Amino acid sequence: MKKRKASLSFIITILVVGLVTLFLLWSTFFFLSLYVSSMKQAAQTSSEQAVTQASNAISNYIGDMQEIMSLIEKNLTKSGEKSDQTLETLCNVRSDLVAVYIYDEQGRLTDSYTGTHTLKEHYLKDLSYIALDSYNPDVLYLSEPHVESLLQDYYPWVVSVLQELTGADGQRMRVVIDIRFSKISDYVDNVGIGQHGYCFITDSNGEIIYHPQQQLLYSGLKKEATAGLDLSSNGSFETDDLICNVRSLDNCDWKVVGVSYISELVTAKEMELLGNICVMLTIILLVTMLVSFLVSRLVTNPVQRLIRAMGEFEKDAAGYVYRPVEGTMEIEALSQSYEHMVRKIQKLMNQVRQEEISLRKTELKALQAQINPHFLYNTLDAIGWLCEEERCQDAVEMVNALAKLFRISISKGHELITIQKEVEHARSYLKIQNFRYKNQFSYDFQIEEDCLQYYCNKITLQPIIENAIYHGLDRMVDEGHIQIRIYSEGEDVIFRVEDNGVGMSEEQCRSILHKEPGDNSGIGIKNVNDRIKIYFGKEYGLSIESELDVGTCVTIRMPKVEENAAAGWEKV
Amino acid sequence: MRNKIRKKILSLLLAGILAAGLCGCGQEAETQKTRVAVIVKSTESAFWKSVFAGAGAAATEYNINVSFDGPAAEEDYETQNEMVRRAMDDGVDVIIFSAVDYNANAEIIDQAAQRGIKIIVIDSDVNSSQVSCRIGTNNLQAGIKAAEAALATDDEELYIGIVNYDVNSANGQQRELGFRQTVEQDPRVKNITTINVLSTTEDARAGAKEMLLSDSRINVVVTFNEWTSLGVGWAIRDLNRADRIQVVAFDSNVVSVGMLETGEVDALIVQNPYAMGYLGVETAANLMNGQTGGPSVVDTATTIVTRENMYEPESQKILFSFEEEGY
Repeated sequence: MKKRKASLSFIITILVVGLVTLFLLWSTFFFLSLYVSSMKQAAQTSSEQAVTQASNAISNYIGDMQEIMSLIEKNLTKSGEKSDQTLETLCNVRSDLVAVYIYDEQGRLTDSYTGTHTLKEHYLKDLSYIALDSYNPDVLYLSEPHVESLLQDYYPWVVSVLQELTGADGQRMRVVIDIRFSKISDYVDNVGIGQHGYCFITDSNGEIIYHPQQQLLYSGLKKEATAGLDLSSNGSFETDDLICNVRSLDNCDWKVVGVSYISELVTAKEMELLGNICVMLTIILLVTMLVSFLVSRLVTNPVQRLIRAMGEFEKDAAGYVYRPVEGTMEIEALSQSYEHMVRKIQKLMNQVRQEEISLRKTELKALQAQINPHFLYNTLDAIGWLCEEERCQDAVEMVNALAKLFRISISKGHELITIQKEVEHARSYLKIQNFRYKNQFSYDFQIEEDCLQYYCNKITLQPIIENAIYHGLDRMVDEGHIQIRIYSEGEDVIFRVEDNGVGMSEEQCRSILHKEPGDNSGIGIKNVNDRIKIYFGKEYGLSIESELDVGTCVTIRMPKVEENAAAGWEKV
Repeated sequence: MRNKIRKKILSLLLAGILAAGLCGCGQEAETQKTRVAVIVKSTESAFWKSVFAGAGAAATEYNINVSFDGPAAEEDYETQNEMVRRAMDDGVDVIIFSAVDYNANAEIIDQAAQRGIKIIVIDSDVNSSQVSCRIGTNNLQAGIKAAEAALATDDEELYIGIVNYDVNSANGQQRELGFRQTVEQDPRVKNITTINVLSTTEDARAGAKEMLLSDSRINVVVTFNEWTSLGVGWAIRDLNRADRIQVVAFDSNVVSVGMLETGEVDALIVQNPYAMGYLGVETAANLMNGQTGGPSVVDTATTIVTRENMYEPESQKILFSFEEEGY
């Protein structure tokens, strides 16, 4: 058996699904990479915005400090009491101002404004003063964060802001403001970049000034994620997991660093998207599979029906009944063409068959028309001999019989004649032969009157009688007898010719039915049989029963053909 | 036959689409916030406030509900048991516990554990085998550090007075044990006296004063928690013996830091309460997320801070809480 090829439906499904998969994968990849890069861009932008926002706020705050400094300077140039009052009030009102300290040029603490807290009498260490080699009066100096060490029972973490100012009498003094982180933390803590991103402040050395999780860092529970990274230059950069954004402040040497997590801002969203896409992809693929399966079925089902129809036609071309195949326009067109073809073929087949039959009929007719010359010669010879003996009556009878024989033989060219005429034909023939054989045999007819009206092929009985005479009776010593019976049996008419001659072997019987007639016999038994079958079908025809030394019985079966139907049967 | 296969394929496809659809719109179950009860010895001291601050920070970070509770008196284990019971009835997921009494708190903790509540001990241990994790100072080690700080004095003969708190509190006893084991090896140590006081400044002040007055030879005083440290500091200040007596105290408090600066206290053994609180809640979060197999004991470091190094940047970070507003 030859290897089964893949069906069209399968190929279409695979092809469509494959193409869709390929396209989807490609577009997913493309879309994802686009998405990731735009997400990164967005993350960077939002980080940048957050940092800008925070740094602006802190810049403003530092500017605020500058203003306070100039306020202090203004106060210092005024005289005594009133300025003290103002500074105390300032420390009390502004919760972020812990204290204001004033140092002389040698760095000795000369004055302090500490609000509600009191200055220690003996302090162990002064962490607020920023000792430098030289001071630029226009610059604010900021310390690292430290604990306020000068106040009693109050140890907040502060940043010291120092500026050199000029007092009322022209002496230079260094003013330090200790500020708590409360304001700064407000600015920084509220900056969120994504869910976990944050900002923090460092100084130019990278020391952390303020961090939202400063206590965690101080407790040693966490380390800043950017520790070890170079944060010296402004701008943003990426590590494997972080997006960092560094921005220096305008009015001091602090920097604001924004840190956000790629995993959170990009990767998590990417994964989420990927998950969604996967679900969508699966659905699309399944739908595609289903649709392409259905579509392909739409195409292949009618095609398969068409194939089946063709198969049926192949098996039985003549008996095939066409049923139209429904489907798409193309399929229907195909189906119609096929129908057309089937009709045409069937018509042609019919035509061929008809032509064949008519050819055969014509052929048989041509044979019928032939007159056995020996028979004619012998008969004429016999008639001549009768005339010589002046047996006029007999000669007239013979001539009449011969004339009848020929007239019926010709029958105006009709093939079918009434059984009555056929019987007359047989009688004429028997009369002639009986005369010729000098009454060596006798014969009789037993005919049902009803059957006479029906039609039969002409020259049906004569060849059989001829056969009975030549092969059965001729060689007999005793008187032979031929009995001819015609009777109806159901819808059929049966002709039966019996003789009591020498009989035939089975082989002879068969050969008579099959061999072509020789030269001497005009129309053979085979011819009779063939004609009946051609005209009426296979179930009709001739059968021979014979027994050696007993006799032969030839039976012919024919349908009852009415007069009006005869013309139809005869038509070619 | 073929038709059957086709039908099967068709139904499979449909089932697949349906399943995919269901997956797509399957709602994410909203997870209940983990609830953690932090039940400790006291709510007033700077130490516990720092614990709460740490716990609060972790709670924010891990999105956990945390409640804080502690008895008014640091000896009141019954109230503490009552608090545990209340937390159990509230249906908390995790109890972060610091035991007033090593044995007296054990039963209720076992009960809570049986109900499926995870137990995390911070600072002071409880006699229970159901504890998932113990976080805190290695108290024996802390005692040894206190001993080192105490022995840093130049005096040739040492008469040591120990002002310890409740004898049933596990961590106090551990610290004393570590301390005694270390100083007993020093030949200069002539005598060690221990008194146990209530964990209040006043009681410790009175107790210390009485001890110092009854034995004037005492030139080293050691005490093991925040309140007793203040009491001892006040007693020294009252008796004006700051110069004579080497005082080693525990924990960082605004007052005790001031005393360190002014000399009543010579060394502070500073623990990391913020880390205890933070790690406690972090561990709770991990336990609730099903991450087991973390360490069963976490040692938060202790540091000796003296007058000389108290304003060093590193000491500042340890000594002074950045988050002044507390929790």
